[in-house]
Amino acid sequence: MQERGMIAVLEKAWPVLVLVLGLLLAVVLADAYGSVLMKRTVTDALIKIVIVVGLYIFIGNTGIVSFGHIGFAGIAAYFATWMTCCAMMKPITMTGLPDFLRLETYSLWFTALVAVTAAGLVALIIGLVLMRLSGLAASISTLAALFIFHAVYANWDNVTMGRASIVGIPTYVTLWVGLGGAVLAIVVAYLYQISAFGLAARAARDDEVAAQASGISLYWNRLIPFVLSGMVVGLGGVLQVHFMGTISVNAFYLNLTFITLAMLVVGGMRSLGGAVVGVVVLSSIADVFRRLEAGVDLAGTRLSTPTGTQEMFLAALMLLILIFRKDGLMGRRELRLPRLLGGRAAGAR
Amino acid sequence: MLEISDLTVRYGKLTALDQVGIRVGQGEAVFVVGPNGAGKSTLLKTVAGLLRPARGRIDFDGQPVGGGAPERLCRQGLALVPEGRHIFRTLSVEENLLVGMMIRRDRAAVKDDLERILGLFPILRDRFRGVAGNLSGGEQQQLAIARALLQRPRLLMIDEPSLGLAPLVIDQVYASLRALNADGLTLLVVEQSTARVLDLATRVYVLRSGKVVLADTAEALATGVAMEEAYFGYAGQANG
Repeated sequence: MQERGMIAVLEKAWPVLVLVLGLLLAVVLADAYGSVLMKRTVTDALIKIVIVVGLYIFIGNTGIVSFGHIGFAGIAAYFATWMTCCAMMKPITMTGLPDFLRLETYSLWFTALVAVTAAGLVALIIGLVLMRLSGLAASISTLAALFIFHAVYANWDNVTMGRASIVGIPTYVTLWVGLGGAVLAIVVAYLYQISAFGLAARAARDDEVAAQASGISLYWNRLIPFVLSGMVVGLGGVLQVHFMGTISVNAFYLNLTFITLAMLVVGGMRSLGGAVVGVVVLSSIADVFRRLEAGVDLAGTRLSTPTGTQEMFLAALMLLILIFRKDGLMGRRELRLPRLLGGRAAGAR
Repeated sequence: MLEISDLTVRYGKLTALDQVGIRVGQGEAVFVVGPNGAGKSTLLKTVAGLLRPARGRIDFDGQPVGGGAPERLCRQGLALVPEGRHIFRTLSVEENLLVGMMIRRDRAAVKDDLERILGLFPILRDRFRGVAGNLSGGEQQQLAIARALLQRPRLLMIDEPSLGLAPLVIDQVYASLRALNADGLTLLVVEQSTARVLDLATRVYVLRSGKVVLADTAEALATGVAMEEAYFGYAGQANG
């Protein structure tokens, strides 16, 4: 009896356990044997996992594609910048900041907390309006929200320095910090997914009428994942600036939106495992192409592919996935406990 | 238990229901029949709060409920099984049933109810972990009804339980409805076909072009002639 209870717990935790152990293995290997460049590539992928898993919390559970979430990453990232960067430059270059940001510098933990909360608050305010919409209207309106974010931040010169880059942000994000962020995002996403709130959101995704007839409010069960995913994506933004050490408004715009959505689509929009697998696959491909574009020595001649091959290849890959495997590499499933360890066959989420 | 009076519902300029009055007493099985476009589904959706009435009153247990949010009405004991087997296709049968139980607060009783309902629809127990979208039409209809029952409604409204099902499967669905009604559950059933009505109904309303054209007890309609006339709107029908 006790053994069966253990297996039940193991079965429940398995989808997360596999992902976390897989990432841990990658980090240990990269840390021990990877070049500096390799370490940066893996760290970047871990941050992307935070963002894509954040996207998944909303898109996967509600079925509504959001084009606007990178805006929440941007909001959190700028907060982190204002609170930690360049104590000498800040009072001169960002004169529009209120004194408590312009003249003070805060601890990194506290900063991350405030920045993520800010992203959540903005998501709440936007969600209160947008989550009344369904389907395509909701998706397009999130894109509009991203445009608004970009227009404001690109022109708010005395606070964001406009389109210029801000430098001098402390960089503390290593492989291990990236891993911590990714694990946190995955655990949060999974706990939400198996909670009653997650179930309600997925029910509303499948059938709006039946969900309402079962006592589920469409509005609240979209708003909750919208805010939660805004916060997780915001965490991704915080890690991003503390990894790069610089920030500019274009870093949180269409390019990042496209690549993160592509990762989610390729991996599988309706699976947490898919979100992680998508990042790993696309990051690996991108890395291979970066090397090819830099050129490889082959029997004495240096060969390189033209710049832009990577983007073309990624776009083609996404098309192929959309045509032949609509639900992505992982389909709609999570990684399941193998029968060897006492797992059950069949079934679905 | 349910009192609908003077209910008018419009889609834009189109009047779907026109001053409809319907009453459902405790323990009854009331049927609303009528041809396509008569406003039957509109009636149930309005009672369940999915549509807003333009005019009229809906009282449930003496409380006015017209225009309330669907999720609140369903907490008050009104359950709707919408037309066309609305189930959560990508979720498992188990999760579909869990959604039905979400509004319940009495955790202990929920377990017993689940057992009882799985006894009523044994096929759902066999498919418990399977994806609901893979069920056959009849199984999906049973799942939709089972999910609504887990809300422990006092009034169960079902929109066309026989739609698109094989006769044998309809028999099964109706057998379970009869059992539920015998157990004391009040039913409000909408059907397009009149064939099954007399199996189960205590009273029948005929709805045509948004108006109630006939209301009587099932026994009085047993001959079937008056009902047919009202249904098809033969000439000479005074209030048609």
